[in-house]
Amino acid sequence: MDKDFKPNIVGFLCNWCSYAGADLAGSNKLEIKPFLSVVKVMCSSRVNSNLVLTSFLWGADGVLIAGCHPGDCHYEKGNYYARRRFALLKKIMESLNLEPQRLQLSWVSASEGKRYAEVVNKFAEDITKIGPSPFRKNQNL
Amino acid sequence: MTATENIKIEKPPKGASIPAKEGIKKAILGVFKKALETEALDAIMIPVKVPETESYAWVLLKDTTLLENADPLPPVMTIQGGKVLSDLTKHGKINKNIAAVLRPCETRAAVELFKLKQLHFENITLISIDCPGAIPLSEYLAEPEKSKKSFDNVLDKWDGDDAVRKVCQICYRFSLPTLTNAPASDLHIGLSGNTKDDVLLIPVTPKGEKILERLDLKADSSLQKWETKIKEIKKIKSQRRKKFNHDFKANISGPEKFTAVFDGCINCHNCQSVCPICYCQQCYFDSATTKLSSEDYFRRAKERGALRFPLDTILFHLGRMSHMALSCVSCGACEDACPMSISVSQVFSLVGEQTQQAFNYTPGINREESLALQDYLEDEFCEVETPSECEPTNSNEVKENV
Ligand code: SF4
Ligand code: SF4
Ligand code: SF4
Ligand code: FES
Repeated sequence: MDKDFKPNIVGFLCNWCSYAGADLAGSNKLEIKPFLSVVKVMCSSRVNSNLVLTSFLWGADGVLIAGCHPGDCHYEKGNYYARRRFALLKKIMESLNLEPQRLQLSWVSASEGKRYAEVVNKFAEDITKIGPSPFRKNQNL
Repeated sequence: MTATENIKIEKPPKGASIPAKEGIKKAILGVFKKALETEALDAIMIPVKVPETESYAWVLLKDTTLLENADPLPPVMTIQGGKVLSDLTKHGKINKNIAAVLRPCETRAAVELFKLKQLHFENITLISIDCPGAIPLSEYLAEPEKSKKSFDNVLDKWDGDDAVRKVCQICYRFSLPTLTNAPASDLHIGLSGNTKDDVLLIPVTPKGEKILERLDLKADSSLQKWETKIKEIKKIKSQRRKKFNHDFKANISGPEKFTAVFDGCINCHNCQSVCPICYCQQCYFDSATTKLSSEDYFRRAKERGALRFPLDTILFHLGRMSHMALSCVSCGACEDACPMSISVSQVFSLVGEQTQQAFNYTPGINREESLALQDYLEDEFCEVETPSECEPTNSNEVKENV
């Protein structure tokens, strides 16, 4: 494991739950590893495959999609659709052995600052263990 | 004309046996000729050999003399029939009573296009036909006579052959279930097991029954012999598919190997434009959304030492998969259209199979089923969440109807 490796993780956080959860974690001064570039989206269902794939192909070592717990989406059904699309993308990566562990879906509510910190820290730890994405240096994309 | 009480399909299902003394194709064309002459049908959509070339085009025909050059099962699949039916009915139902003869993968594409609201089935009698495979288009065009011979040979043997396309060799959906409660086609033409003496016309829906009724054909022959043969071939092909996909996956998967598969890709998007499932008026990957400024590209080139053009080929292939893999019917049209001989349909077929299994979804075998991405259950796929708090609920069992 490369001691100096600092993973580059893209986090798509839904505005109403997970982004607020991140905010809470921040105001509670919880320790969060600084590897996540946060992209605020209105709902987890806003994250389409293109956003995820583009992130990976252009060098992200990990992609986290976080939204409201099932049943709590502010657009009612958004995260149910998001979960299906996520399952499809994950399965595509699995079926081609494209290191599916680099893609994660987590539910974090606005009141779960602690859970947010745990999810992000654990994911950052996992990605650090896996190492840099092989796409980082691939010239044939 | 038979009385209405005879229209109801008897159980176990039966088919009308058509004698095929002069070959199966003649027998089938004979039925169509009669259907046109008696006005049981206003027109038929069928592959017809194009004069002056060896190619086939789909023709919507009424004139029975044109049937002479028609072929219900041509040696190649030049244009995916599902796409053709969509072209015909995309903007509304057709007012004439027409029939279309499609291979199973074409039929399934038509059903997916129907679910995608790109095709209307009203007044269309969809006739599916058992299919032994198709010769790779480029090989056929290079050596048409030789290819026709090997196709006849395949049609005789029925268990797939090196002569047909890879996806055909491992296709275990070369026939269609004739379940009346989950219809894909209206009428199915059963060939395998009956190749020598007769052809079976198996009604699936009331529309299929109606055609037989108009032609004074009685569905009174047992399907048993045909079904047994289908099961046999299906077993062989399923095993072959399993082994092939296992080895193929080992050869093409992983970030390095996967990008290497598409090293030769010239990004022409032929694979997308011929794919029946890719119906979008403008493909997302042709749109300006996916294009960046030259500075961005320069920065990327700098980061990785060099940047290959054309750009975004891998994004295109993975992105296309994420749009349509669940509906991929493994028809091979994309690979036939690829100028660089990339094994694109084999890749899509593999990914299609694995994603479809995860969703317990089989594209195109049931018109009543909803599209996997337009539906959800509140309690499912918990295994994809992190942390995961429940037992996996989605079974990986594949629905099998044949
Ligand atoms: S991806 Fe290829 S094999 Fe799959 S439906 Fe489209 S053309 Fe057919
Ligand atoms: S790749 Fe996607 S956007 Fe392009 S035609 Fe296919 S489904 Fe439509
Ligand atoms: S048809 Fe072949 S060369 Fe053209 S985009 Fe598809 S894979 Fe690439
Ligand atoms: S608003 Fe949070 S997932 Fe939809």
